[in-house]
Amino acid sequence: MISYELTEEQQIVQSTMAEFAREELFPQTRRLDDDAAIDTELLAKLWSTGIVQMQAEAEGRSPVTNAIALEELGAADATLALAIASTLGFVGAIADQGSARQREELLPAFAGDAFQAAAVAVLEPSFGFDVSRLSAKASRDGDNYILNGRKAMVPMASQCSHFLVIAESDGVADALIVPRDTPGVSIAEPKGTLGLRALELAEVTFENVTVPAAMRLGEDKGADVQQIIDGARIALAAIMTGLGRGIRDYVIPYVKDRIVHGTPLAKKQFIAFTIADIHMDVEAMRWMTWKAAWALEERQPVTQQAQLAFTYAGQQIIFIADHGLQMLGGHGFTKGHPVELWYRNARAISVLEGAAGV
Amino acid sequence: MVDFSLTEGDLKLMEVMRAERLRARTIAREIDRIPESQPLTDGDHPIVAGTIAPYAALAQEKAPISGLAVTECLMQTVGAPEFNTRPAPSPSGTWIVNELGSEEQKKAYGHLWLVFGVSEPIAGSDPSAMISTAKYDPETDEYVLNGEKTFISNIDLGDGVVVIVKGEPDADGKRPFYNVVLLKGTPGFEIGQPWRKLGTRYHNLGSFSMVDVRVPAMNVLGNGFVNIQTRLNVNRPVQSALGLGMCRSILDFTHGKLAEAGDEVDYAKGRSSRSFAEDKLIRMEALWEATWGVIMQCKWLEQQLGQLSKGFQTQVAMAKTMSGKATRQITQGCLELLGAEGISEEYLAEKYFRDARIIDIYEGPGEIHRLAIARKLLGYRKGELD
Ligand SMILES: Cc1cc2nc3c(=O)[nH]c(=O)nc-3n(C[C@H](O)[C@H](O)[C@H](O)COP(=O)(O)OP(=O)(O)OC[C@H]3O[C@@H](n4cnc5c(N)ncnc54)[C@H](O)[C@@H]3O)c2cc1C
Repeated sequence: MISYELTEEQQIVQSTMAEFAREELFPQTRRLDDDAAIDTELLAKLWSTGIVQMQAEAEGRSPVTNAIALEELGAADATLALAIASTLGFVGAIADQGSARQREELLPAFAGDAFQAAAVAVLEPSFGFDVSRLSAKASRDGDNYILNGRKAMVPMASQCSHFLVIAESDGVADALIVPRDTPGVSIAEPKGTLGLRALELAEVTFENVTVPAAMRLGEDKGADVQQIIDGARIALAAIMTGLGRGIRDYVIPYVKDRIVHGTPLAKKQFIAFTIADIHMDVEAMRWMTWKAAWALEERQPVTQQAQLAFTYAGQQIIFIADHGLQMLGGHGFTKGHPVELWYRNARAISVLEGAAGV
Repeated sequence: MVDFSLTEGDLKLMEVMRAERLRARTIAREIDRIPESQPLTDGDHPIVAGTIAPYAALAQEKAPISGLAVTECLMQTVGAPEFNTRPAPSPSGTWIVNELGSEEQKKAYGHLWLVFGVSEPIAGSDPSAMISTAKYDPETDEYVLNGEKTFISNIDLGDGVVVIVKGEPDADGKRPFYNVVLLKGTPGFEIGQPWRKLGTRYHNLGSFSMVDVRVPAMNVLGNGFVNIQTRLNVNRPVQSALGLGMCRSILDFTHGKLAEAGDEVDYAKGRSSRSFAEDKLIRMEALWEATWGVIMQCKWLEQQLGQLSKGFQTQVAMAKTMSGKATRQITQGCLELLGAEGISEEYLAEKYFRDARIIDIYEGPGEIHRLAIARKLLGYRKGELD
């Protein structure tokens, strides 16, 4: 039965995250971007809200609730939202698809009070890379897999305890759990990126890495890698919804205040109509994200919904960020306002297909 | 709880509507070729004889549904209506009498089939510019109507119209809106020739004039413009969903034809390994889905707040704007993908392209709704942002 009603718990998560985002996160967004380094203290504060830990408990896992939380965080700072979503991607995949032993062994590390990063490693360092064409290969060798390949744009790579590496094995995509200190794993220095700078996105190389078959996600059963990609698309759509909302809420007071040619900018129809369009897109992005997250939560077919939510969000966030910046004119180009930062983040997040989870 | 499952009743009713529309499709081209001057029919079309009317099925459904408002829109999205297989169960004029009229008015006129007359040759998207008048004659306790209306849907059918006119100026010099029941056969009420048009040729679009037309005072419904707004709030998302139905048909046709030509959409892949056609289809499906989410949220809110609430007006404007945009972009984009063969009258794609163009015009064009949304967001009133 179609309903858009949040549970009481979801309303609490929403308002807690909104408050954290407004009070703690937003004031730091410029500094995080300048420093191009994640603020572990801030991350620890976010961790203490319990969002990731909840996913590690079977009854606490809820992609819909996560989508709601990620929108709130994304409205203040997409980078930190993605730092959490990246770890959620790893934890969610283990919780949803790990064997009983893998869940037992791995999840407790993410259920505690101290922040712990981990990431799904999907993207590869080639232009025009596509999630359906993996170069990383895992070949079976007795009780082990031998993993070779390079993964790109891995969030907070140097802080991750584990990577869930998506690689091709016997012609299909498979997922291997690789502790970061395994011999043959090397993490490059971050080279800096256009946006989401604090994520310290970096390349990770796997050279003849031996991965025991027991560390194949789902062990003998294997994993549904598509579901991991679907979850990533939903998480990114949720964060883009927040980012779009943040831009909308920033430009509205600006265009009302700014007098140009004798009247507030907001009274020019082109500006007003664009704001209406931005608002509609943010709303549509949110409902599409919820619908896809709901399908994931209910274990319904989700690939199409996730793709549509991600495609729409990825397309419209550029429209929103682009017009948001334009509305501020030269001021939008300067670092005196956050829109240039959001513009960079919008372009970055909409191509990071895979680096998150919900 | 956030829930996007369709209930047993929803699925059943969507199937009833789909069956109706597939029946209509078998003769859709034939109907499309009938010139507008020949009215179709006053009753059910023979092609649906002996089958249950989808709206009657909705009213009678015993299995759980997502709600009358939500489920009605779900039904509308299943495919293009092709043509009006049956007269609307409650056209806008009738709806206004029954939902907003007095007991006396409901008794007198509630059973009649009445359309809705707002637009004038000089006043469409801005009804405040209308010049049709109603003047009270105390001697006979009648109102005298004068003026001209145009673009009135289905004025050829049924019993008459709820016409919107302006009364005498009040103490502040403001002229109130009146909703007046005007029945066919009233002296001075003349119906003009139907318009020929781009699409929805099955849909009669007429005009009428009123020259010293006298109606009893009891024909004047209360509430002025509020009635129109209330009706539009309820009906606009339904028209939006109907637009999505048209898009569903042209999208399904395009998916099918491109798949036959070897271009099948795979939703799993990323954008770098898609063909142009595949990518464009996915983007159009995304716009369809975006619109669906906004329409359903609006109708869900209507169910929470009640039809007469003003609390979902902005959602109505968003639903209508999104659908206007979607119907234009999707029908245009599908014809682009289908290529030259797509313009042939051998298929219905070109008809959907023409029919769907009305969605962003009637019941308020996108510009008017964007104004409403922007005023709400920016905190401006009418007069401050126009
Ligand atoms: C098939 C069909 C069925 C219809 N059915 C009915 C019916 O049953 N009853 C009825 O009363 N009417 C009906 N209409 C009329 C319909 O509601 C009007 O056509 C519509 O409101 C637009 O008015 P208009 O055509 O006079 O355009 P105009 O008001 O002349 O507008 C022209 C264009 O200018 C834009 N515009 C107007 N104002 C602004 C502004 N302030 N800023 C920016 N842009 C602006 C409009 O959006 C539009 O794109 C129907 C029309 C059609 C074609």
